[in-house]
Amino acid sequence: CSPIYRNHGYVPTDRDLADLSVGIDTRDTVAAAVGRPSAAGLLKESGWYYVQSRWRHYGAFEPREIDRQVVAISFNDGGVITNIERFGLEEGRVVPLSRRVTDSNIAGISFLRQLFGSVGNFTADQLLGDD
Amino acid sequence: CGGGTVSRDAPLDSLSAEEIYQRAELELEKEDEEEAARYFSEVERLYPYSDWAKRALIMQAFAYHRDRDYESARSAAQRYLDFYPMEEDAAYAQYLLALSYYDQIDDVGRDQGLTFQALQALRAVIENYPDSEYARSAVLKFDLAFDHLAAKEMEIGRYYLKRKHYPAAINRFRVVVEEFQTTTHTPEALHRLVEAYLSLGLEDEARTAGAILGYNYRSTEWYQDSYALLTGRGLTLEAAGDNWLTTVYRQVIRGEWL
Amino acid sequence: QAFSFTDVRIEGAERVSPGTILSYAEIPRGTAVDAAQLNDAYQRIVQSGLFQTVELVPQGNTLVIRVEEWPTVNRIAFEGNNRLDDEELAALVQTTPRRVYDPGQAEEDARRIVELYEQRGRLAATVSPKIIERADNRVDLVFEIAEGGVVEIERISFVGNRDFSDRRLRRVLATKQAGLLRQVIQRDTFVGDRIAFDQQLLQDFYASRGYVDFQVLDVSSEFSRERNAFFLTFNIREGQSFDFGNVSVSSDIPGVDASAYRRAVASDPGDTYSPTRVDTDVARLERLAIQRGETFVRADPVITRNAREGTLDVNYVLRRGERIFVERIDIEGNQTTLDRVIRRQFRTVEGDPFNPRQIRQAAERIRALGYFETAEVETRQGTAPDQVIVDVDVQEAPTGSLSFGASYSADSGPGLNVSFAERNFLGRGQTLRFEVTTGADSASSAITFIEPYFLGRDLAARLDVFYRIAEQDNTQYNTQVAGFSPALAFPVGENSRLQLRYRLSEERLYGVDGFDPAAPAEQDYSSAILEEEEGSQIVSSIGYTYSYDTRRSGLNPNGGILLEFGQDFAGVGGDAQYVRTEASATVQREVWNGDVLLRGVVEGGALNMISDDSQVTDRFFLSTNQLRGFAPKGIGPRDTAVPNEDALGGNYFAVARLEAEFPIGLPEEYGISGGVFLDAGSVWGLDNVDGGESTTDGIDIVDDDFALRSSVGFSIFWDTPIGPLRLNWAEALQQEDYDETQVFNLTIATQF
Repeated sequence: CSPIYRNHGYVPTDRDLADLSVGIDTRDTVAAAVGRPSAAGLLKESGWYYVQSRWRHYGAFEPREIDRQVVAISFNDGGVITNIERFGLEEGRVVPLSRRVTDSNIAGISFLRQLFGSVGNFTADQLLGDD
Repeated sequence: CGGGTVSRDAPLDSLSAEEIYQRAELELEKEDEEEAARYFSEVERLYPYSDWAKRALIMQAFAYHRDRDYESARSAAQRYLDFYPMEEDAAYAQYLLALSYYDQIDDVGRDQGLTFQALQALRAVIENYPDSEYARSAVLKFDLAFDHLAAKEMEIGRYYLKRKHYPAAINRFRVVVEEFQTTTHTPEALHRLVEAYLSLGLEDEARTAGAILGYNYRSTEWYQDSYALLTGRGLTLEAAGDNWLTTVYRQVIRGEWL
Repeated sequence: QAFSFTDVRIEGAERVSPGTILSYAEIPRGTAVDAAQLNDAYQRIVQSGLFQTVELVPQGNTLVIRVEEWPTVNRIAFEGNNRLDDEELAALVQTTPRRVYDPGQAEEDARRIVELYEQRGRLAATVSPKIIERADNRVDLVFEIAEGGVVEIERISFVGNRDFSDRRLRRVLATKQAGLLRQVIQRDTFVGDRIAFDQQLLQDFYASRGYVDFQVLDVSSEFSRERNAFFLTFNIREGQSFDFGNVSVSSDIPGVDASAYRRAVASDPGDTYSPTRVDTDVARLERLAIQRGETFVRADPVITRNAREGTLDVNYVLRRGERIFVERIDIEGNQTTLDRVIRRQFRTVEGDPFNPRQIRQAAERIRALGYFETAEVETRQGTAPDQVIVDVDVQEAPTGSLSFGASYSADSGPGLNVSFAERNFLGRGQTLRFEVTTGADSASSAITFIEPYFLGRDLAARLDVFYRIAEQDNTQYNTQVAGFSPALAFPVGENSRLQLRYRLSEERLYGVDGFDPAAPAEQDYSSAILEEEEGSQIVSSIGYTYSYDTRRSGLNPNGGILLEFGQDFAGVGGDAQYVRTEASATVQREVWNGDVLLRGVVEGGALNMISDDSQVTDRFFLSTNQLRGFAPKGIGPRDTAVPNEDALGGNYFAVARLEAEFPIGLPEEYGISGGVFLDAGSVWGLDNVDGGESTTDGIDIVDDDFALRSSVGFSIFWDTPIGPLRLNWAEALQQEDYDETQVFNLTIATQF
C-alpha cells in the first residue's frame, strides 16, 4: 500500500524572503509581503515564526512528520527585522507531554444519562434486519 | 393510571388565586415541580393583575428550573423581568435566568455555546443588582463559567499538541494566557507553551514562557515540569508508564486520550 | 417653567407596579424639573410599551401620572382557515397569551398570515384581527380568515424559440399546465418566485446546450376574468449554440508547469460548451494542485469567442490565489458529542492555508457520521482580513435505540428480545451494539464494538462476538454458529482502505432428518449430502479486504467507483481448510445533469477447499437483495430427489445488476423516485454431489453446474423518517424449474 502525504502550515518561499531585507522592513511590510506568521512569541517584541510540516501517513502506523521548515524572523524593540533564519526538523526536540490536566470544576452529566440520553432513534435496518 | 389526574383538568376558574397558589405550593412539596409550574402559570393566566400573579410568576420560574425544564424557566424569568423590573424578586429572576444556562454547561469536551450565554446573564445580575444577595454567588459562578471557557481553549490546544500540530496549539494556549489570565488554567497554558516551543526548537521563546511561569506561579507542579524540561533533565517516555496496552486502556476505555 | 415635586401619585396602573413606572420616569424627588425633562419622562414611559395612554399632570408639588394599561391577551384563536391548520398559523403569530396586547403587533401578525397564503397561491386571502373583551382588562384575540380560491395557470406559451418547440420547453418548466392532478400536485399554482425559478430552469436548459447568449427578455401574464387562472408567455432570445474550440492550460505561477495539469481537463474540442463543464474542469485542476502540494492555486477560465465557427476557446490560467489562513475552527451545539470527534473530521488544522474544498469535504464527513439532525459548516471573516474562522454548528439527533420484546408463537414457544444499539457511545464516536434474542429453537446474541480512531489515528478497530442458532427459512436443517472476530481497518492510499481480520468460530449443522428405511414411505427427509455434513467444525481464519472508493474524493464529482476484493484463509488451526474469496465492483454515474443515476454492480465469490468437502455453513447463497426476483436461498444446487428439496448452496457465485434511478415527476417533498433494474447471476459448484437417499444404491447426481438465472423489474425509492426504503417488484426471466421465486421485496436503499 502507498503512503499518503499531507502538508500543514505555510512557509514563505525563498523568492518571497529574498525581497525582505534586515534592518529595513518592519512587521507591517513583512505581513504584507509574506503574510501573517503561524505562531508568535508571548511578549510584544518577540519574533514571528512560520512553520510548514509534511506528514507521511502509512497504513496502520502512527502518522510521522517527515519534514518541517521553520522560518524565524526576529525584530528589535523598534520592530525592525534583526535576523531571518530558517531551520528544520532536526532542531526540534521530542518532548514527553505531561499527562496532568487542570480539572474543570463543572460536573459532567452522569454516566447513565449520557448512555440513555440519546436513545430514541429508530432506524430502518432494525425493522428489516439485514438478511 | 390516569385516574388521579382527572381533577387536574377540572376548570380552575372557580378557585381564587390564593387557592390555586396554595395548590401549587402543595405540589412543590410533593416534588412534582412540573405540576406545580402548571398551577403557577394558571394563577398568572386567570388573575394577571393580582399580587398573587407576581409571586406565581417567580415561583413558576423556580419550579421549571428545579424540573430541569430550562427553556420554560428562562421564558418565565424573562416575563417577570419585563413586568416587574423593580420588584425585590427581579434580582432572583435574573439570577434564575443565568442559572438556567449555567446548569446546562457540560464537561469541557462538549457544547460551549451555553457557557457564553451563561456569562452574559451572570454579568447582568452582577451589574444590575450589585447589592442583592445573588450578586455574590453570581460573581462566583461567573468566574467558574469564565474558567470553563478557558478549559475549552485548553482542551483544543491539547488536541493539537497531542497531534504535534505545534503552531495551532501555540495559538490556542496564547489565547488562554492573554485573555484568560485570571483563570486556574494559565499555569498549565504556560507549561504547554514551553512544551510546544521546545518541540519546534524555539529555545528562547520556551525560556521566556518558563520565566513568566516561574515569576507568577513558582509553587505549581507545572513550574517544576517546565523547569525539568528547560534544564534538560526532562522525564523520559518510559518513565511515564507508556506501554502499548495501558495506552489502549486509557484512551479507548477511559476516554483520556492525552 | 420649572417644577419641583415632593411626591408622585399614579392612577390607573393595576398590573404594572408603581416602582416600575417610576423607574421608567426617572424623575428625581424634590429637585427642579423643567418641561423638557418632563417630556423625556413621558416618552420613556410610552416606550416601555406597557401602556395604551400616558398623561403627566403636574398639580402643585405633586406629579400625577395617569396611565391606561394595555389589556393582556388571554387566548388566541383562528377562524375560517381550512387550507392551513392552527399550529402553522400559531407559529407565525408573535403575540403570545399572558403578554400585553398590542394592536400594531396584531396587524403585523395578520399581514404575515396573508403572506403565507400568497405563498400557497391563494392571492385573494384576507385576514382581520378581532378583539373580544374579557373581565379584568383581558382580551381574546381572534383572526378571522377568508381564504379565497387558488390561482391556477391555464396555458404557457413561448415567443422567439426557433431551435426548441413549445412542448419541449414546457416539459422543462416546473409549472405544468393545470393538469388532471391539480388538487394533489401543487406545482401549477401561480406564485411569483416560482416564475423566477422557471426562468432559471430555462437558463440552465439552454446553457447546458451551448447557448451562451440565451436571455429571457420578459414574462407577460394575463389574469383570466374569474381571477382563478393565468395565461403565461415567456419572451426569449436563444442566440447561437457554441462548442468548445481548443482547450489549453497555462500557468502564471513561477515553478508550476502547466503541461502536468493538461490531463485533468475533461472537456475536449468539439464538445458542446456548457458552464457546468467549465466548473468541473476548474474543480479538477484545483484538486490536482492540492494533491501535488501546491498551496493557494486558483484556475481562472479565460474564454475567447469566435462567432463564425461557433466555437469558444477556453484557456485555464493557473494563478496564485490570495493567502488566506484558517484562524480557528469553533464547534457549537454538540450537546453529547465530544469536540474532538467532530474536529478530527477536518484534514485542515488551525493555521493552515484556507482550502474551501477541504472544508466542504470535512462538512460531508461530519454529516456522514449520522449523529446530527443538521450540521452547518460556515466560514466568516477572522480577526484579520486574510484570516477565516470556520464555524461548525450542529444539532444533535438521537443515535441510540433500546428495544425490549417478548414473543410467543405456537411452535417456537415464548421468546425474549433485548437489543441496545448506540452509534455515538458516550459521545466518543464509538459504536456499541448488543442484542440478545431467546426462543425455543432460535436464539442469537451478538456484541459489536467499533472505535473508529483507535490510538488517536485514522485506524478503525472492531470486535464482533456472536452466537447464533438459526432455523434457516425455507430449509429443513438448523445451523449454530458461535465465535468472535477482531478487525483493523486503515487507509492505504488517497482513495483506498485495507481491513485485516481474524475470525474464530464453531459452526454446527444439526437437525437434518435423514432417511429412515423402517419408517413408512411418505416421510420427509433431506439429501444425503446434508447428512454427510452433519456435525460441527472449528473454523479459524485470517482475512483481508481491500477497497478502492472514489465516490467522495475522486476527480469526477458526479460519478464514482467502488472496488472491493477480500479473501479469508481458513486453516490457521481449526478443522476447515479453505480459501474463500469475494470481490465486487460498482460503477455509478449521474447523467442528464444529475436527474438520472446509472449504476452497474458485478459481484463474485469462490470457495476453494484445500482439504475435504465444503460445508453448507461456508458455501455461498444469494439473498433477494443480491438477485432480485428469487427467494432467499431460492437458487443454486438443490437435491430434487428428496422430499425436503432444501437448497445446498454453491462453492461459486456470480451476479450482475444494472440499475437506473430517476424522478417520476412527484414533487421533491414526497421524497419518492422510481427505478428499473436487470439482474443476472447464478450459484454453482459442489464437492460432494451424491444426493438422494443415503443408504440405497439409487444414488442420483445433484445438478451443480452453472445455470444462468435472470430477472427484470422496477423499484420505488421512498425516503421515510426511519430511513431510505426501496420497494422492488421483479419478474424472473430465466430460471430452473426447481428455483423458488419471490416477486416483491422491501429493503433499505443503500446511499451511494
